[in-house]
Amino acid sequence: MLKNKKALILVSFLLVFSLVAVGCGSETASGPADPNKLVVAQPSDAVTLDPHGQNDNASARVRLQMFETLVDQDADLQIIPSLAESWEQLDELTYEFYLKEGVKFHNGEELTANDVAFSLRRALGSANVSFIIEAIDVDSIEVVDTYTVRFSTKESFAPILAHLAHPSIAIVSEVAVNEHGEDFGQYPVGTGPYKLANWEKDEFVDLVRFEDYHNEERFAKIENVTFRAISEGGNRTIELETGGIDIAYDIPAMDINRVEESDDLILIRDMNFSTTYVGFNAAKEPFDDVRVRQAINYVVNMDAVVDAAYDGIGTPAKGPLGANVWGANLDLEAYGYNVERAKELMAEAGYADGFTAEIWTNQNPQRIAVLEMVQNQLADINIKVETSILDWGVFLQETAAGNHDMFVMGWGTVTGDPDYGLYALFHSSGHGDAGNRTFYTNERVDELLDLGRATADEDERAAYYHEAQQIIRDEAPWIFTWNGEELTGTQTWVRGFSNSPAGHHALWTVYYE
Amino acid sequence: MANVNSAVDMKTPQVDAKKVKKKRSQWYEVWRRLRKNKAAMVGLVIISILLFSAIFADFIAPEGYDDQDLTRRFASPSSENFMGTDHLGRDIFSRIIYGTRISLQVGFIAVGIAALTGGTLGAVAGYYGGKLDNIIMRLMDVLLAIPSILLAISIVAALGSSLVNVMIAVGISSTPTYARIVRASVLTIKDQEYVEAARAIGANDFRIIIKHILPNSMAPIIVQATLGVAGAILSAAGLSFIGLGIQPPNPEWGNMLSSGRHYIRDYWHIATFPGVAIMITIFGLNLLGDGLRDALDPRLKN
Amino acid sequence: MHKYILRRLFLLIPVMLGVSFIVFTMMYLTPGDPARIMLGESAPGHEVERLREELGLNDPFLVQYGNFIKDLVVHQDLGRSYTNSRPVMGEIVSRFPTTLKLAGLGVLVAVIIGIPTGIISATKQYSLFDNISMVGALLGVSMPNFWQGIMLILLFSVTLGWLPASGFSTPQQMILPALTLGTSSAAIITRMTRSSMLEVIRQDYIRTARAKGQVESVIINRHALKNALIPIVTVIGLQFGFLLGGAVLTESIFSVPGLGRLMVDAIGQRNFPIVQGGVLFIALTFSMVNLGVDILYAFLDPRIKSQYK
Repeated sequence: MLKNKKALILVSFLLVFSLVAVGCGSETASGPADPNKLVVAQPSDAVTLDPHGQNDNASARVRLQMFETLVDQDADLQIIPSLAESWEQLDELTYEFYLKEGVKFHNGEELTANDVAFSLRRALGSANVSFIIEAIDVDSIEVVDTYTVRFSTKESFAPILAHLAHPSIAIVSEVAVNEHGEDFGQYPVGTGPYKLANWEKDEFVDLVRFEDYHNEERFAKIENVTFRAISEGGNRTIELETGGIDIAYDIPAMDINRVEESDDLILIRDMNFSTTYVGFNAAKEPFDDVRVRQAINYVVNMDAVVDAAYDGIGTPAKGPLGANVWGANLDLEAYGYNVERAKELMAEAGYADGFTAEIWTNQNPQRIAVLEMVQNQLADINIKVETSILDWGVFLQETAAGNHDMFVMGWGTVTGDPDYGLYALFHSSGHGDAGNRTFYTNERVDELLDLGRATADEDERAAYYHEAQQIIRDEAPWIFTWNGEELTGTQTWVRGFSNSPAGHHALWTVYYE
Repeated sequence: MANVNSAVDMKTPQVDAKKVKKKRSQWYEVWRRLRKNKAAMVGLVIISILLFSAIFADFIAPEGYDDQDLTRRFASPSSENFMGTDHLGRDIFSRIIYGTRISLQVGFIAVGIAALTGGTLGAVAGYYGGKLDNIIMRLMDVLLAIPSILLAISIVAALGSSLVNVMIAVGISSTPTYARIVRASVLTIKDQEYVEAARAIGANDFRIIIKHILPNSMAPIIVQATLGVAGAILSAAGLSFIGLGIQPPNPEWGNMLSSGRHYIRDYWHIATFPGVAIMITIFGLNLLGDGLRDALDPRLKN
Repeated sequence: MHKYILRRLFLLIPVMLGVSFIVFTMMYLTPGDPARIMLGESAPGHEVERLREELGLNDPFLVQYGNFIKDLVVHQDLGRSYTNSRPVMGEIVSRFPTTLKLAGLGVLVAVIIGIPTGIISATKQYSLFDNISMVGALLGVSMPNFWQGIMLILLFSVTLGWLPASGFSTPQQMILPALTLGTSSAAIITRMTRSSMLEVIRQDYIRTARAKGQVESVIINRHALKNALIPIVTVIGLQFGFLLGGAVLTESIFSVPGLGRLMVDAIGQRNFPIVQGGVLFIALTFSMVNLGVDILYAFLDPRIKSQYK
């Protein structure tokens, strides 16, 4: 079998040698490895490429390149045409959309009103995404002619266009869906600037430019795009530094300076629509007392917490919405760190000696750090806190059932519209499962949020939302914690990339120089 | 994960039945042999130091394990903080000292669970034989067929992550090993004359198992348990590493390592010290385990 | 021998049934609603309920388990993944080669390091080399491999810039994961080789060979190694089986798209079909590898072979 030990030793030396030799092969490049290929790394692989399937960030980032929606939002959150050239509101509830002619799907079929009606019905029938366009009455969807489609909302719903621009309400090819059935997520057919070439699950997704794409302005500049899944944040940075990838999404906070200071890399950072908060169970003693909630807001040194948990990225939150969301109330005042005030409030509420409570979160390192610091700082007003890290599913279930005292969680106002960021979270109709996990109830807030939904006039609408945010800030169902940031690292030769605040970045604009 | 064990399985030492008659001198003999083994003594010293730190953590650790100070985050090792501070400004040395408590607890209790259930099942299976043996051992085969880390992960997922549940999960996933070892030694012992003699004078099964059979299968169990504690500590740290472990702010080493790894490029000390702590502990247990095996069965000593 | 193999294969059936039942029960008892996890925090309760109904999660336990076994036996179908509705079988089969490759490379690393070191240690017992390699081997088993992986990345990817830190498609990408996974096995194989060699060296026929004045290297290579190999081969086989199931942490550190990572993700997402199918598949492979090792063992050692006749 093994003839002699010298051979073995030789083999092992050869192996070590080859390790070293292979290793020395890589060196820093001064331009893209392949001028026709863009390699993008994100933390996880897409789950499904069916836009009406699971609604996770990683999937959405890939699907955005392949699918389009009826209307779109520009960088200032203004609605712009996409597959619909124009539209009209016929009455308070009814909308009519006029499609662009000559739009081709990746399979060569032409886009018609039938595809649009089919896609809307399909989205409404999908448990994953139907909540986004719940407002639409499914029976009212109607094909008027080849390029015209019409539908009504159940009640007047001002932010409907922003919701139609949500990437999950993409228009799919009816023919392709019927052909592939359950496997449509593996054989996606859309109208976007890129189409799917090859997908090795959990490793990479290869996209190739769609040559028959209808919109010249958005015609892809680089022929091939590869998405790689690299879960460890530090490894994404390392791969970027060693030239293995061109763009890395979600650069970890610890690596910001490294990327920023590197001569070979560029860091692109912009505030996004995400917010992190510590919610109270406002329906449960002692958190039903507004003074207790305010006291806790005063005793948490949020600047220090955010600095430690997020290493200086993003900003401490002042209210329920980030400053970049339309209609955000920029006049809100942060609670600030004031232990004396906190003690007074606790005494007023009759809790000078404190109490015991639990705080929960899921397996997210930053949220865990927030939780640990909140626990530590609440001791200053004699609140003894026990912590639990729950599994995501259990966490959602238990907080929806109202079994919690306090919890650390997040939200993304994906549409950039205040309705998306407030209604589900603070309207009393949303208690529990639908998103209001603090069980916060305030009649005036309910009324304002309903008015905001129904009002088309922008100034009036903004006024309603400003008032609602002020009340929410004062009544403090949350410890307002943090607004996040998109952090993307690129090679110096990458041009034309910009962050989208919803986290779904367009790649057809990217080119090399 | 409990990879440490596999080398041992190959040579389960078998115990001389005669030894039972001179119990005290037998253990003395073992101790004498162990004392001569320098490596084993080093292991024993390491384990003693760890036990000492676990018991007297409150006196040894300069600070509490959750004393946060956000103004001194990421401090490098210095005379003030001998191993530096972590991302929340906690003294790493103090956390490691308190962490000894958790790791040793997890290690010993998990192995206790495994040895107790596995040992009982193995003894029953070996002693009674027949159908019962078949059922128990097939059940153990089922558990053995699932890789222990996956089994442990699923158990923790089912029970929820907490110190106790991690112990149970790690314990259950290493149960079959003990069942097999005990069953094997019971099989060799149960037909010995002195067991038959005990049976002849009317001792009941329970008494025979407890009084005669178990003491004589102790040697392989002790060896397996010592190395098993090492395996259990590694498994628990691995579970924590993937976020299924013990709740923060408890200073579990795997947990500290896991959260420290994000900072490793700038602040090497945060993830390095917990890793070294795990390594030293496992090293000590392995040295001791090896030494015990040699001392308990001199024939195996090379 | 054939009879023995057939009997062992037959015995696998109840074991696999047991595995599926245990996993099924465990998943059933695991809190956290898969429908809720799939839909995320923003979906309303009635949608979650609708999805539960669609997935058959509202059926009683035995009905669910019965359906699973029926599909498996009658249609050889493991169902579809909850999250992306791909067939479970395909998901597993597409990941398996990666894990197999990783485990194989891990064993290769272990063998290449372990056997020569073990042999030299045995022939020069109590020498400096022996002492160093034994302490090294012990440190190798004592090192948590997730920690070692991080340290290797720090050294080879960050500091030296020689090797990529993630992925598993090119040979360069495979080096660090294979080293990480192989280390503890290397340590075990080193120890096993050493002790097995020592045992053989003490045998009478080696003494005879020495007495006859044969050259030491011939003795070691021709006589000792061959006989010492039997237990070593067994350990290598067991290590391979162990690495197949134990690659979970290595896969997640290096973003290797293998079976282990699939399983951990699936457990987190309560993606029951994947968990069930995956565990069953891994358990079957694991058992087959062990069976293979037993057969090989019998094959190499005629004394054992005779027992099975």
